[in-house]
Amino acid sequence: MKGLFKSKPPTPVELVQQTRELLLFVLNNTETRERKRAEKISELCKLLLDLRTVLYGDGQVEPNSDACAQLTKEFFQHDTFRLLIASLPSLNSGARQNAIHVIANLQRQRVNSKLIASEYLENNLDIMDTLIPGYEDSDIAWTYGPISRECLRHQNVARYVLESKHMKNFFDYLQNPNFDIQSDVQATFKELMTRHKSTVAEFLSENYDWFFEDYNTKLLQSESYITRRHAVKLLGDMLLDRSNSAVMVRYVSSLDNMRIMMNLLRDSKKAIKLDTFHVFKLFVANQNKPPEISSILVSNRSKLLRFFDEFTIDKEDEQFEADKSQIIKEIASLQSTDRSCQDLDNCDVPC
Amino acid sequence: MIMAAHELQFPLDSESYKIIDEIGAGVSATVYKAECVPLNSTIVAIKAIDLDQTKADHFDNIRREAKTMSLLSHPNILNAHCSFTVDRRLWVVMPFMSGGSLQSIISSSFPDGLSEQCIAIVLKETLNALSYLHNQGHLHRDIKASNILMDSNGSVKLADFGVSASIYESGSGYGSGSSTSSSAAGLMLTDVTGTPYWMAPEVIHSHTGYSYKADIWSFGITALELAHGRPPLSHLPPSKSLIMKITKRFRFSDYENNSTTNSKKGRSKKFSKAFKDMVALCLDQDPAKRPSAEKLMKHSFFKNCKNSEFLVKNVLQGLPSVEERFRVSKIVKKAEVNDEDEVESGSDQNIVKHRRISGWNFNEDGFELEPVFPPNEPKDDHDDDDSVVKQVRFGGETIIPGESDVSGDSGGSNLNSPPGDYSPGGVKNEENVQGSVVNPETMVGGLMTLKKSLDDQRQKVSDLITLFGGEVMSREDQLVQLIERLRQELENERQKNFELQMELEFLKIQISGASTTDETD
Repeated sequence: MKGLFKSKPPTPVELVQQTRELLLFVLNNTETRERKRAEKISELCKLLLDLRTVLYGDGQVEPNSDACAQLTKEFFQHDTFRLLIASLPSLNSGARQNAIHVIANLQRQRVNSKLIASEYLENNLDIMDTLIPGYEDSDIAWTYGPISRECLRHQNVARYVLESKHMKNFFDYLQNPNFDIQSDVQATFKELMTRHKSTVAEFLSENYDWFFEDYNTKLLQSESYITRRHAVKLLGDMLLDRSNSAVMVRYVSSLDNMRIMMNLLRDSKKAIKLDTFHVFKLFVANQNKPPEISSILVSNRSKLLRFFDEFTIDKEDEQFEADKSQIIKEIASLQSTDRSCQDLDNCDVPC
Repeated sequence: MIMAAHELQFPLDSESYKIIDEIGAGVSATVYKAECVPLNSTIVAIKAIDLDQTKADHFDNIRREAKTMSLLSHPNILNAHCSFTVDRRLWVVMPFMSGGSLQSIISSSFPDGLSEQCIAIVLKETLNALSYLHNQGHLHRDIKASNILMDSNGSVKLADFGVSASIYESGSGYGSGSSTSSSAAGLMLTDVTGTPYWMAPEVIHSHTGYSYKADIWSFGITALELAHGRPPLSHLPPSKSLIMKITKRFRFSDYENNSTTNSKKGRSKKFSKAFKDMVALCLDQDPAKRPSAEKLMKHSFFKNCKNSEFLVKNVLQGLPSVEERFRVSKIVKKAEVNDEDEVESGSDQNIVKHRRISGWNFNEDGFELEPVFPPNEPKDDHDDDDSVVKQVRFGGETIIPGESDVSGDSGGSNLNSPPGDYSPGGVKNEENVQGSVVNPETMVGGLMTLKKSLDDQRQKVSDLITLFGGEVMSREDQLVQLIERLRQELENERQKNFELQMELEFLKIQISGASTTDETD
């Protein structure tokens, strides 16, 4: 009803200012009477909706770029972002969704061709120390997860998170039994490990040992189907990326890694098998195979050939067929020069 | 405030649930009725989705569905209690809706559709959900009777967010890594998704994208589905053969058999002006002209709407249980070879393979939706495509009677008789196929008769449509006309050319004449 008596609607800057006042109230007055607080919160929800309308338009009218720029500038100038993140746990799920959409949009707004959000986050990287651990709290995980992903669009943020202590925690977050949260973590992890190529390559080469140790044991050898499935797919994506070629060469030179892949090839689940194949082929195609890998391939040659001969997928896929025949050719032509005779336990080949 | 929604913590392990019965099945998902043992054996529904049959790029959809179902909170929306994986399956635990889907209710007990009063209640509740969804920036994108569920107390909930989308998350590469510049996205979606019979024209064409109004279209189709017992055109599944089509049509479409006699007029009068008007608003070709969910709720059709108790008395009473209905439907399905109809309520399939439709005309008086098909692609007349072409003609034929009401019966009676003419041929052909002793001569003979009768009919339908000012023209006719016109033009050009040449010659003679006279001067 208030709106009826207002002479003119608030400007984008005023909207942000009002939002900030309410955020401060909500954060600083936790002991206020409940009704008063609820009132302020519902006002805040309305403001978030108004902010969203400025940024996205209302379906009929396209957003005005000047208004967006003013709003973005005002928003990041006074730390509204931090306040909003801090008060999200007090908001209902509808308002949280609106906040996510507003924040997502703000990450992409350019003012004078500069990404203001990126500059802001550069100086406020510690906000990620609030967002990422949100995965430990099932109530806020759905809200902080998508916001984290939006922030990770900025390379400086991705580097900060990759180098932080949070990285190790991801391997635990990925085990969350709650599917909603687990798949959100998965999406964030994938974003982190694939978006900023050079940063990721740097991270992987510096943290190779612990990262792949955890990756192999906690993800690829997990009990959970979904964890294995995601892990093997992401591994393929990472290793096949040109910028990670050094890491790939290192990975496919390890017999232990190949053992894990061979076990996954034996998995009864078709989807996992197929994704594993795309990693396994790298071990075989490697032109500088370490002797222990060659010798395992040679001593299991007939089993492997039989396995690949019977290995088909439901859909026609030329690339897959081409890769497969390449692999078969490679295995068949391997010379059993090195007779160091590895012990073959654990390396029994799928059949 | 937030905790209220999660008051009951449903356990995240399969051991806590005891499966009682199967109540729905689709290609990669099965729905069970189960009890949650640690929570006083609360009855729940569990949708088990086989993830190994799900492509990796589909995981985003599943994630979004799970998230949507957890985040949305509205009395008319079916929430998920929780979801977790059990080996290769994803279990989504939901409240058990004992009435089942409206589609299953109709097909089991109301083959001719629900009464208008009942429809009003169901639609109003659905509209509540839709209005909430749209306010949240969500499109459901698969509104249909099989996604509307009823509980034992008559409450109605919208379910299945498998293909739903948020317009604020579209095109922005939300979580998927692929990104486009977003803020100018214009809040439109462009991917073609949904179930064909219910899909809005702008979703199929998608030149400029679509938005909330696509749900309103599907809502209108759902209204027709509830009123007639099935969506418009559903008697035209993309079946492989014309023969199956004919037999099927005669087997289970009682309502068409009735309509070939004279009960048709009564049928179209069964529905109130308000209802027809409401549906007509939803089925406007122009999305911008369709009302929003919020506006539609104020339509006179929803005034004086009865409450859910009315549904308990008039719909739920005496209805077989969901489990029972599922068993029956399974048996029926087994009996129907090659049936390509929709699967049960639990299905999460969005099979988009049906024939394209280039447009729709909603006939308000007949309360039917008439398809406008794109020009037939003429191919070899004897291969499978032929049957597709004929299906289309069937579509025109069965739906037109509705329109004939408007004009009196002059054309109607003509149109209604042919089905009788060709039915013997159809039945004969079916016998041939089933007996697997195919006599080619009888077959060809039968098909020729059929073709002729179809051609006759087509002509009549065309005449009729032209009579009402519409324009129908087969591709061949169009081409013939085009050729004729081009020939005429060519002829004109030739004539002109000839005349110009004559003039040129004439001028040449004049010039040479002049120059010679000059010289002589």
